[in-house]
Amino acid sequence: MRKIVKDHLTKSFLYFTIFFVFLMPLLKLFFMSFSGMDGIGIENYVLLLQDNRTPEAIYNTMFIAVFSTVLSLLLGGLFAFFIAYTNIRKKRLIELMVLAPFIIPSYIIALSWSGLLDTGGVLQMSFTNLHIPVPNMYSIGGIVFVMGLCHMPIVYLSVLSTLRKISKDLEWAARTSGYTTSQTLMKINFPLAMPAFMSGGILAFLAAIDNFAIPAFLGISANIPVLSTSIYEKVISFGPSSFNMAAALSVILSIIAIGGITLQNLLIRGSSNQDSMQEDFSARIFLSEPRRRNLQWGCIVFLGSIDMVPLLHMLLTAFQKNYGMQIAIDNLSLYNFSFLANNHGVYQAIYNSAILSILTCVICIIIGTACAYAKVRYQNRAAMVLESAASLTYAIPGIVIALAMIFHWGKIPHVYGSIGILILAYSTRYLILQIKNSTTAILAIHPALEEAGKIFGANELRIWKTIVSPLLLRPILTGAFLIFISALTELSLSSMLASAGTKTVGLFIFNLQQGGDYNLSAALSVLIVLIVLLAYGIVEYLNRQKTC
Amino acid sequence: MSLRIEHITKKFDAATVLSDIDLEIRDGEFISILGPSGCGKTTLLRIIAGFLTPTSGEIKFNDRLYASNNYSVPVEKRNLGMVFQSFALWPHMTVKEHLAFPLQSQKVQQSKDVENRIIDKILAVTGLEKLANSLPGELSGGQQQRVALARAMINKPKLLLMDEPLSALDADLKLSMRQEIQNIHKITGATILYVTHDQSEALAMSNRIVVMKDGTVEQFGTPEEIYGKPQTLFVAAFVGRHNMISGKWDGKQFICKNGTAFPAVPPAECFIEKGICPLRPEELEVNRDNIGICVEIVSKQYNGREFLYTAVDADKKTYHFYAIVTMLFSAGQKIHLTKKSV
Ligand SMILES: Nc1ncnc2c1ncn2[C@@H]1O[C@H](COP(=O)(O)OP(=O)(O)OP(=O)(O)O)[C@@H](O)[C@H]1O
Ligand SMILES: [Mg+2]
Repeated sequence: MRKIVKDHLTKSFLYFTIFFVFLMPLLKLFFMSFSGMDGIGIENYVLLLQDNRTPEAIYNTMFIAVFSTVLSLLLGGLFAFFIAYTNIRKKRLIELMVLAPFIIPSYIIALSWSGLLDTGGVLQMSFTNLHIPVPNMYSIGGIVFVMGLCHMPIVYLSVLSTLRKISKDLEWAARTSGYTTSQTLMKINFPLAMPAFMSGGILAFLAAIDNFAIPAFLGISANIPVLSTSIYEKVISFGPSSFNMAAALSVILSIIAIGGITLQNLLIRGSSNQDSMQEDFSARIFLSEPRRRNLQWGCIVFLGSIDMVPLLHMLLTAFQKNYGMQIAIDNLSLYNFSFLANNHGVYQAIYNSAILSILTCVICIIIGTACAYAKVRYQNRAAMVLESAASLTYAIPGIVIALAMIFHWGKIPHVYGSIGILILAYSTRYLILQIKNSTTAILAIHPALEEAGKIFGANELRIWKTIVSPLLLRPILTGAFLIFISALTELSLSSMLASAGTKTVGLFIFNLQQGGDYNLSAALSVLIVLIVLLAYGIVEYLNRQKTC
Repeated sequence: MSLRIEHITKKFDAATVLSDIDLEIRDGEFISILGPSGCGKTTLLRIIAGFLTPTSGEIKFNDRLYASNNYSVPVEKRNLGMVFQSFALWPHMTVKEHLAFPLQSQKVQQSKDVENRIIDKILAVTGLEKLANSLPGELSGGQQQRVALARAMINKPKLLLMDEPLSALDADLKLSMRQEIQNIHKITGATILYVTHDQSEALAMSNRIVVMKDGTVEQFGTPEEIYGKPQTLFVAAFVGRHNMISGKWDGKQFICKNGTAFPAVPPAECFIEKGICPLRPEELEVNRDNIGICVEIVSKQYNGREFLYTAVDADKKTYHFYAIVTMLFSAGQKIHLTKKSV
């Protein structure tokens, strides 16, 4: 009897916590968007739409999302095709360069490109000498370009394994039916890869809607409003009812995002299931030797110039004393780095980001793995509810979550303004990644292994300690690395939730850039890229050590 | 009119997978390629189809060069049909679309009417009329296999290649599909190359059988020759599960090690040289007078009509033989085996 009451209480407590942490903030935001000076109504929306900037922001958001997605689809799809099917070599290197924008934060990519093409830059000079108009990165075209690059890995990853899973026999059956290799690609491979291609496109579209950093770095100074930056500007303007306006804008942005997700779900349901197929890593299109070499080096040079050149240029500017001067030996110095080294704020920011990402990882690993385990092994209802709630907070754009957090936690003492609200925000946002990752890891462990443990008389705790956790550790840590990197370089949540003492690295770079301090922001960016690459190298190294 | 496989050798890096395969296949023959796993059957088929090029040697079809080490007619120009072990049905096309697909690739386009008539006819032949608009995912294994067969033969190819087409099916279905493939052979008159590692399939269906081992041809002949007159020890062991009785040949007499002799038809030279008399399990019987080779029973398998016994002699050599159900032996029992007198 007592046990039943206790179970009941635990259950209610769990459901309430999920509701309080994940859903309440969003509900509050929703209500805020309808409340104003004159009580409840659609007044905020009416006011917003009367202002020319709102339709412009919606239009820009959609325009950027659609065209950057097209670019991501082209690049990601093309490279996936080359890597999956052709006989080019150096595939590891090429793949690494395709995936680079995944681990380098998008604002650093935006910053590096704007630096490269900025007035006074090397490239700018040569463009002018050749009488070619200089592309301006602080434009809608520039935003589309950088965003397209940043989301190329999403499409690539979505398409690659699907292309490999299309069985060679299917192609050969078409060849014996009288079709050439290229006809076979068009009639068999292309339609079969289409769902994955579309799905990658929708993911890229959602990422573009969600992205705050790129339009913030390239669009704010050029006065190009998009929804995410408009929300940010409304919030920091502290005008009358600006929070309610921001809430209304957030609802509009969320509707676009949810529309995309609904489309994605429809697509997944309609596509034929090829998950059980084996990936075939062997080449299918054999190019002649000169062609193979041309394609291979073409890929490397192209990716190198879109990945490496801007970063190298950024590295040089980091050593420059004064911005806009010719890059020459006597203009190089460690001034920027020594300035950063003597700046207390920099230390604080790096420290904050490090602590935040570590804590977020730990929280996500514990809750995410527990949730995944309860879901997989016991079909636990609360775990499933938690998973849905966490999916929602990941699907809703980050800037919206940040605003919702302010509404919800702002009234609770000691949370808003402290590092606590950032930890809460990061954890709610990234939890779903860990649940998914842990679920995959747990599914890979056959229940028989645990049952065998039970037969030999081990209790639950010992089974976990001796059987489950050693097997889970590696896949879980590898998966958590993505959360770590995302949290370390995060900008959209911290731009709204951080206060003076809790600035993050991303926010610090953003502030430097907004203040026109290009060399300093470049120097700090270089530092961040190095940290990220180092972390990536360590994880790769550890992974390879253990597989051998 | 024939398919000529001339001295084909295929190497993958250092490994030689096929060495010096030389076969001439007549028009309209049903040829089975039989051999254990990994002996190169699929590789040979893929070279004939044009998915692989030979390291040396040539493939010719009706005196036209199909492939050599530096020349290859593209697969789509070889006018062949192929049935895959995995069926290889396209998940996004209906049965009808599968059948229309090869027709629409033809240089000479047929009118929609003609096309539909051909499709309807083949649907009827293979009993797929009711499933014309189904997707592969909605079909059973046997139905999928029939679609794969129909697709391979709809263009009336001169050469039909089949790579273990029945191995994914259950026993019952296998038997009825064998029938169907034989019908297809009769109707189309195409030359069929049929890869299998199931000897009963090969014996039942083919005009001639190629037995392969480690990338070489062991024997090429009619089912009767392969089964009744094996030319190598491998063929004798692999097909018909021959017992290798050791002893000595003396004209039309075989004298076993222990001195007992029996009359037998002399086998191929290599057996006589090695002093072996290959006898199939059904050619042995238990001798009640305790004459013959003394063996000890190891195990038995019931096949519904009789028992297949496994036994070993003093040299630990294994023997297989049949005995009727009324004659029961148990493991450990010692008995004597002699050749059945016909
Ligand atoms: N692409 C390849 N690269 C290297 N080795 C290969 C390749 N394809 C096949 N082989 C090797 O060639 C040998 C013959 O393979 P093949 O597939 O032709 O055998 P098979 O007779 O069809 O066997 P099974 O009955 O198992 O299908 C095998 O040892 C295989 O490992
Ligand atoms: Mg094979």
